[in-house]
Amino acid sequence: MLGVIIGVASVIAMIAIVEGGQVWLVSSIERLGTNLLFVWKKRLTVEERRMFAGRNIKLKYDDALATRQHFPELTVAPEVGFDGQLKVGDRDFSGYVTGTSPEFSEIRNFFPKVGRFLTTADLQEWRRSVVLGKTVAEVLFGTESPIGKEVKIFGGVKKGKKVDVTKGEKKEQQTVEEYRFVVIGVMEPKGEIHGRDWDEMIFIPATTLLRFFKGKNRIGHMVIYVPDRNRMDEFTQKLHQFLVQRHDGVDDIRIRNQGDFLGAVEQTLWTFRIVLGGIALVALLVGGIGIMNIMLVTVTERTREIGLRKAIGASRKDILLQFLIESTAISIIGGGVGIILGIFAAYGFGNLVAQSMPGGGDWGAVVEPTAILIAFTFAVGVGIVFGLFPAMKASKLDPAEALRYQ
Amino acid sequence: MLIDLRNISKVYKAGDVEVPALTDLTMNIEQGEFVAIIGQSGSGKTTLLDILGCLSHPTSGEYWLDGENVNELPDSQLTTIRNEKIGFIFQTFHLLPRKTALENVQLPLMYARVPRATQHDRASQLLTMVGLKDRLHHYSNQLSGGQQQRVAIARALANHPALLLADEPTGNLDTKSGNDILTMFEQLHQQGQTILIITHDPLIAQRADRRITLSDGKIVSNEVTHLSSEIMV
Repeated sequence: MLGVIIGVASVIAMIAIVEGGQVWLVSSIERLGTNLLFVWKKRLTVEERRMFAGRNIKLKYDDALATRQHFPELTVAPEVGFDGQLKVGDRDFSGYVTGTSPEFSEIRNFFPKVGRFLTTADLQEWRRSVVLGKTVAEVLFGTESPIGKEVKIFGGVKKGKKVDVTKGEKKEQQTVEEYRFVVIGVMEPKGEIHGRDWDEMIFIPATTLLRFFKGKNRIGHMVIYVPDRNRMDEFTQKLHQFLVQRHDGVDDIRIRNQGDFLGAVEQTLWTFRIVLGGIALVALLVGGIGIMNIMLVTVTERTREIGLRKAIGASRKDILLQFLIESTAISIIGGGVGIILGIFAAYGFGNLVAQSMPGGGDWGAVVEPTAILIAFTFAVGVGIVFGLFPAMKASKLDPAEALRYQ
Repeated sequence: MLIDLRNISKVYKAGDVEVPALTDLTMNIEQGEFVAIIGQSGSGKTTLLDILGCLSHPTSGEYWLDGENVNELPDSQLTTIRNEKIGFIFQTFHLLPRKTALENVQLPLMYARVPRATQHDRASQLLTMVGLKDRLHHYSNQLSGGQQQRVAIARALANHPALLLADEPTGNLDTKSGNDILTMFEQLHQQGQTILIITHDPLIAQRADRRITLSDGKIVSNEVTHLSSEIMV
């Protein structure tokens, strides 16, 4: 019976946790915006780079602008960044500075809590405006309102003050930029999703970033929102075609959609399902053997009863059914207890994950009725299958011998 | 003729050794008779009971019960015969311990697929008849030996059996309870019930109409004790 309880409990807990993981995954991806395509540049080999030298390759800010113009139905946000340092008086914060456009806020479903996000004017005029993540604002300004305050941003590699940076034995001279920015907004709290703490983000206009910190026109990637989910594939193809054409026919474009990311994680989840399912199956089988043992002992203990029942007119079928019903009853009780235990285990584990895993905040277990049904059906099946042998043994007893069994 | 045994033999095999339990036994019992089969232990009484009770097949010979040749019937039909035509009473009562007197009596009715309500009525009527009207819902282990055996008689009579087959019915009882049980047999006999009692005790056997004595698997004597019943037949 214990085996059946453990088996059923583990099936339910396992499915609930994996389902919970999936729900968590899907919702966390959706919290970062839906219907998104990500356009990256593909890394070229040395030969390819030599071959395509002089052609218009790599992803540039102009590509984003051209895409926006060519596909008015899509929303395009470029993303480019560098590891920078922010200073306010004696407080500082080191983090990744992201250069983007106003569209970013809307398509990543991430909005300012106070102040505003970047505007078209910020980009057009290369304004030195900065929007801070919640944590960044807290570190730099504490409880003060940062809106309208000045922040110094260091980083990037262009021209400007010369600073020695030690790289191994060799001393190189590198240039580090330093500019004064004005805080125009603070983002809403979002927490950590997929290893990226969104509260530590720092946004400045993409144009400003490229002009002051990069000195090049290249961007990291583009995020593109497709209003109609059913046209994701169609636009993937069209975008690819359009960008390759812009790149003088060089295919250095890679477009992925959220589904691709989802698919990769889903595959991992399936591995979990199979492994955990296997363990649960073994537990159930062990439970089944346990039931068989109990029933065999019962049949032996009750040999005289079986003999008597046969003497007064119980047929083989009657005896078979009686013992099958008993073994099934054991598995039903075991299954029932297992369901309750499994639900507790699932929620217990869900809480554990929520507390111990960064960003696992809402990885709750999802106990699905189907999982309960599957586990229960399986448990009852085990009861019947493993009860069959002892029941057959009981039904085949010779009544005369069974009656006088000591 | 209710029972007709023709040249019945039964041989048990213990490894390579063949042990004869009954040898070429022929006897018959009429409807309504009260017969005692008497013999020492090892005389073949139990083997004969098994065969008469359709619990096992003879090695050779024919057994006709109520006009049917039992030897030729498959196990499934023997079950039906045991259920409908034979009422067993055992030395050790053989009641189911975790069931009430009523449930014990209902058992053969249940196997006969009698409707539940009828089962209950018939069982309580039988228990009333054997004087256990106020013990219907007692568990069998809460009853005395004599009471348990009376529950067993009620159970044996449940399906109106043609033959009541009792194996040392008083063996586990004190003299008074044993006497009550035998008196009950006599009453049933007067109502026309065919009864076959197996015992080693000559005093008990004396209360039957006819005594068949077994020794070494053979009938050594077959004597009528009460002439009156001969006239009844």
